[in-house]
Amino acid sequence: MQLYLPIAEIPVNIFVIFAMGGAVGFLSGLFGIGGGFLLTPLLIFSGIPPAVSVATVTTQVVASSASAVVTYWRRKAIDMKLATILLAGGVFGSLIGVILFDVLQSVGQLDLVISLSYVTFLGAIGGLMLFESVRAIRRRKAGATPSARKPGQHNWIHGLPLKVRFRQSKLYVSVIPVVGLGAIIGFLGTILGIGGGFMMVPALIYLLRVPTNIVIGTSLFQILFTMAAATIFHAMGTKTVDIVLAMTLMIGGVIGAQFGARMGQNLRGDQLRLLLALLVLGVGLRFAVDLLLTPEDLYSIAIRKGAGA
Amino acid sequence: MIRFALLLVVSLLGASVSVAQDEDHSNDLVTALSSDMVSIQSNFTGTEIVIFGQASDIERAPHAAEEFELAIVVEGPPQDITTRRKGRFLGVWVNREAERFQNVPSFYAVASTADIGEIADRTLLDEYGIGLNHINLAVSGVSNVPLSDRDDFRRAFIRLREESDLYSERETSIEFLTETMFRTTIPLPANIPVGDYSVKSFLFNGGELVSHTEETLAVAKIGFEQVTFELAQNYPLVYGVLAVILAIFTGWLAGVIFKKD
Repeated sequence: MQLYLPIAEIPVNIFVIFAMGGAVGFLSGLFGIGGGFLLTPLLIFSGIPPAVSVATVTTQVVASSASAVVTYWRRKAIDMKLATILLAGGVFGSLIGVILFDVLQSVGQLDLVISLSYVTFLGAIGGLMLFESVRAIRRRKAGATPSARKPGQHNWIHGLPLKVRFRQSKLYVSVIPVVGLGAIIGFLGTILGIGGGFMMVPALIYLLRVPTNIVIGTSLFQILFTMAAATIFHAMGTKTVDIVLAMTLMIGGVIGAQFGARMGQNLRGDQLRLLLALLVLGVGLRFAVDLLLTPEDLYSIAIRKGAGA
Repeated sequence: MIRFALLLVVSLLGASVSVAQDEDHSNDLVTALSSDMVSIQSNFTGTEIVIFGQASDIERAPHAAEEFELAIVVEGPPQDITTRRKGRFLGVWVNREAERFQNVPSFYAVASTADIGEIADRTLLDEYGIGLNHINLAVSGVSNVPLSDRDDFRRAFIRLREESDLYSERETSIEFLTETMFRTTIPLPANIPVGDYSVKSFLFNGGELVSHTEETLAVAKIGFEQVTFELAQNYPLVYGVLAVILAIFTGWLAGVIFKKD
């Protein structure tokens, strides 16, 4: 069934979009990720204009993180103080992201920056995850128990000034890396149309040493509100948030996530991380191939002013 | 009798019948559109517009019928469009040169009775913008495209627009119902931009333009599509906040419905 998208101004097959939302929702439920980094490229490859894809996925991420935040909220697994400071950085980063998004679009380099960022970040994160999960699986096969986090283990980040105490996370760290991390994730999320959970969670664990039971809820809470801000900024700046597309993706996504979450409970943590690492690397590789291979058509056009701009 | 019936059809369909106002040739070209409004709703997947007309000059000179040629041009609202060309930079394909075409039609379709080149000479075709090779593609002053490559950019621009079905040239697609009554169908694809379109009909005799008419066609979103689009354009903050509320509500609802145990 064809449905005309009022903002993208093209008709799409609603079942295909619904299925994409469902498939990405399934994976996000399985791995406990937002799935923006999969959904945005899928939409772009299926012919939705990149600007509409990126802006609309930010809205979809709001929906998918909202349903998870409710769960973590009930379990009181969110460090509100940490989340609020991350969020302040996130909103700032998101605002810069929207401004840069507009500039890049007008000089015709938006697609390049999106592709390069995907290659860089997905390649790096996917590579690290692959390395880490393979090591974990080997260690498990060898029969060794993973070493627990040692208290008092410090890195250079813990030497920065402006220290604040985060009671729930049992942390005493500077606000500079917290705001900075929030800003970077907010910025990338807005430019790339991703929530950034797959970058936020490892950063909170390895850089700030936030306890793992609090990390996911806190990260989801920050993503929810950063992406809500990104949606509003995109609606006001690029005017490319397509509410019909977003709604279709959301419904498919929340249903898929339920099945994914159930299946995820039957898989081991390190196996899940290995699969996720391969998925992340695969998407990054797809972008790298597009950048390196000679394009089928060297020419492209973009409407700058007038009807449909 | 047939002619009378067709004229009746024209006038009944004639949401906007337009009559040429040439000084010497009054009433020698009459055209009408099957509809003067194309409305875009959620189920819109493209449509077509039928243009009817009568050229009475042909009747007055029946033996010279072969010398008469018709061209009908449908043009969408103007746009500024940047055409870019990729080149290798540090091993990666990136957009390098760019050419900006100003005030070019967002949609362009031409139908004719013969090959465009045979209808009239180049200057006349250029003047009225009849045929894909005769559209006025004005470029902006600032451009990093070398002069020798300008034509490549023009050709690429037209080709890309043709590929997205927004530009088309349909030679010999005008069909004569009687000696003087003609009809042609112009497909409007699903991705047509909204706005006011013009439908221009030209009657040529032996390479001379003897008469022309112009009508307007409105392409507009209606109902939910219109409300959504206007909200997004005119009240972006409200639209953005609405999108967020809708997303949070959907997420919350899913959390409640699928609540575990």
